[in-house]
Amino acid sequence: MFRLSEAPRGRPLRIVDIQGGEGVRRRLFALGFHKDDLVEVNSQGILRGPLLVKNLTADTSVAMGRGVAHKIIVDLASDEG
Amino acid sequence: MKDEFPSVIFLGQPNSGKSTLFNAIAGHKALTSNFPGTSYKHTHSEVNIEGRILNIIDLPGAYSLNPSEPAERVILSHLFQEKPDLVINVVDASILGRSLELTLELIELGYPMIVSLNMIDLAEKKGVHIDPRKLEKLLGVRVIPTVASRGRGVKELLAAALFCLDNRCPVAPLRWSGDIEEEVGHLAERLPSEILIAGNPRFTAIKLIEADPTFCLGILAEAEPALKHEIDSAKKRIEDKRRSSAYEIMAAERHHLALKIFEESSLVRRGKQLTWDARVDDIIMHPILGYPILGLIFLAFFFLIFKIGGRLEATLLGPLGRLRALLSGWLGTGLLAHLGDGLVQGLGGGVAIVLPYFIPLLFLMAFLEDLGYLARAGFLLDTFMHRIGLHGKSVSPFVLGFGCNVPAVLSTRILESPRDRAITSLLIPFIPCSARTTIILALVAFYLGPFWALGFYFFNVLLIAVIGRLLSFFFKDPSPGLILEIPSLKAPSLKTMVGKTYLELKSFIKFAWPLLVAGSIVLSLLQFLGMDKILNAAFSPLVVHGLGLPQPLGITLVFGFLRKELSLIMMLQALGVEYKNLLSAISREQILVFTVFVSFFIPCLSTFAILWKETGKRIAFLSVGLSIAVAIAASLVVRLIF
Repeated sequence: MFRLSEAPRGRPLRIVDIQGGEGVRRRLFALGFHKDDLVEVNSQGILRGPLLVKNLTADTSVAMGRGVAHKIIVDLASDEG
Repeated sequence: MKDEFPSVIFLGQPNSGKSTLFNAIAGHKALTSNFPGTSYKHTHSEVNIEGRILNIIDLPGAYSLNPSEPAERVILSHLFQEKPDLVINVVDASILGRSLELTLELIELGYPMIVSLNMIDLAEKKGVHIDPRKLEKLLGVRVIPTVASRGRGVKELLAAALFCLDNRCPVAPLRWSGDIEEEVGHLAERLPSEILIAGNPRFTAIKLIEADPTFCLGILAEAEPALKHEIDSAKKRIEDKRRSSAYEIMAAERHHLALKIFEESSLVRRGKQLTWDARVDDIIMHPILGYPILGLIFLAFFFLIFKIGGRLEATLLGPLGRLRALLSGWLGTGLLAHLGDGLVQGLGGGVAIVLPYFIPLLFLMAFLEDLGYLARAGFLLDTFMHRIGLHGKSVSPFVLGFGCNVPAVLSTRILESPRDRAITSLLIPFIPCSARTTIILALVAFYLGPFWALGFYFFNVLLIAVIGRLLSFFFKDPSPGLILEIPSLKAPSLKTMVGKTYLELKSFIKFAWPLLVAGSIVLSLLQFLGMDKILNAAFSPLVVHGLGLPQPLGITLVFGFLRKELSLIMMLQALGVEYKNLLSAISREQILVFTVFVSFFIPCLSTFAILWKETGKRIAFLSVGLSIAVAIAASLVVRLIF
């Protein structure tokens, strides 16, 4: 298990937990990020810029600041492939 | 303000094609764009459908009815106050699983509704085949497949809307898991009769359990200790059982139900091919390549406007000069001649100097917006925005500011934190809007060369960064992190781009042009009466001694408050020269100082008004003070350097 901000790029990951304050969590839920969803880090901005996170479950993409990505705990998806 | 006509509300998540669908029905009356949250205000339109008049309303996109940004709050208050006769929930079929979460909330709300399953073509392309009949059965709501951008399904949707208005299409709530359902039902029964019911008791109970306690319903509950106790114990029972906070459980329940409905109604073909937009996205969002591409897009944008505008301007200036010569020969030198000349300068200046740059700019802005590039620029520029104390979500208001500062200030409603809103709103007036771009191109690029104009933009952006950095020292609250949806790229349709340009143009002709003409005529009158000299003398300490500009320009700077282009048109008039011979009256350095001063000094009247309305008196006046200080400082620096 690791934080989304430290996750390898281009690998399917499963969201284990979404931590952080209520505001951030509510926002993530509203944009369709929930526990057990499959996500993938697709790209990132330069100089430790934001991450481009694709939600494979919902088929949506979200740009996420590192602080936010730090609050999301993920694990490599077991059913990878 | 309930109308006598039945009201139909369009509601959907951002980028669901809601505004496009609305436009397809209402004609070119609402703006659309491919950026989350750009339909920042609602648009009303009365339409005649088969002899019946409907009042249709387009609301800003919302991800959920648990609002987390100011734009989303507008929706809730609208829904409760105006109680629409019908809700048309526009759903992006290509991301159905996620979109259905809002649909489920709307079903809980219980107003009569229809689902418009939009962009069904895009879903097919992605390998998702949705069975609308099955979806209809699972949701218990009419589902009409549509492709708004091509007008497909619109007729069926309207027929269904009329049917539902006549027959009330009832909506039955979907059930939660056993324990949650029990709590919801229990609380709904115990709501005191005097409490304001939002939608229906069941919906009110759900929101009392899951909504942010600081938001309207929660405040109501605070006033009722007995009710607050009921809510707290319901929450506690849920939280104890599920070991998580109540709002998360409700969100997860809805999420799972939405996914289940999606899976049962759709067939996803595996092994779908990489579509064009995914490939393009890999390049333009690339961690390294993305930046030179962003730079190239900006350069292309600038040179296209300059080249097209310059050519158009050169073609139009000839006839304008001849017209003025003809007129002065005809009317002599009396009052009539002065007024006539003012009229021609105002009208002609608008056509020959302003529109040539204005139209290409509007068109290209519409292109970038429709394509979905703004959100991508937000992603790429987030790092740099952090340096000035903001983040990537402010990029879209800034880019919109290049078109016009007014919608840019309005669109700051997508920012969650008041701090970010305040800083962004204070910085927007420094963005060179289309009016200022016209001045920069017509003066700096035309007389000093295009690279000077580019340098000007560079200086401008640098200045914004410095001001932003300084402002962020004064607004200490922490800024929430960036969470910005990146919508899928869409091939911009010529029809929408032309429509949008036309709409902006119409508002320019209606509001700005009369000001240009009136300003020119007033200046002519002042010149005829000799009063311009008195005003100019009053400003001369600043204008002549401070900025080193010719004295007659004093009055034109003041008028720039009404409309920035007015300074340009009046400048020619005040100096009494033709545009082509401008250098005979003023030097290149003075042109530069003039442009710097006009660009930064005071937000124009409309921007000031919208700042006041959106962010309050304090910020509006702070903005005025800030811009006057910056304009004077920047012009002095430029004067000293050159």
